[in-house]
Amino acid sequence: MNLRKEKKQAEARVGRRGGQNRPLTPPKLKLLVTVVNRQKVELYLGLLQGFDVNMQLSMAAQGTANTEMMEMLGLTDRDKAVIFSIIREDRADEALRYLDEKFHTIKNGKGLAFTVPMTGVIGVAIYQFLSNYEG
Amino acid sequence: MSAYPYEVIFCIVNAGYSEAAMDAAKKCGAKGGTVIHARGTANAEAEKVFGITVEPDKEIVMILVPDGLTDQILHGLYREVGLETAGQGIAFALPVDKIVGLQIDQAK
Repeated sequence: MNLRKEKKQAEARVGRRGGQNRPLTPPKLKLLVTVVNRQKVELYLGLLQGFDVNMQLSMAAQGTANTEMMEMLGLTDRDKAVIFSIIREDRADEALRYLDEKFHTIKNGKGLAFTVPMTGVIGVAIYQFLSNYEG
Repeated sequence: MSAYPYEVIFCIVNAGYSEAAMDAAKKCGAKGGTVIHARGTANAEAEKVFGITVEPDKEIVMILVPDGLTDQILHGLYREVGLETAGQGIAFALPVDKIVGLQIDQAK
């Protein structure tokens, strides 16, 4: 009897928090790594913020591809920047597609981006901050 | 073989050894990488006890590779710039689930 009551209460709670379509578990996080020309780093940091990204880390780096390969890919500058962004799994694909489009359309904006799945994070407040998700 | 088609190798070496690391990786099939400057830290007491010194200036070499090449590149890095060499390198690989901006045939 008690169990049935608890089940009913739990169902009501789930219903209140978002209904049928809302996932019961909060979305996972991914590490999005973007490598771009150093002069374009501010531009890409700004673009990525539009995808619920609250924390990013950018650092100066150097490309190592040989000259022949660089010419083939249309790259000219060895000075790069690497951006590490923490992004929610459900926004990652959209962000990658957007970056791909920008890599092709922005002058001198060629780059490379990939995502690495994260398997754990500790702390509710930290998770909410990193994911920009209040559920 | 992992479930992911690509992996990213991070190799942390003493400053000045990124070229040696990149050469070792290229010998094993890597096409290119990105070098990030970094600083290493270690417990000063542990350094004394174990009789080692950790050179604080480091370089991180980040190399994106197809899954099949990961093991041989890690072995190559260990041989050329591993902990028993002057490069004092450590290397690890992380799975990459999606990539944009890389010409796939070039990477292979």
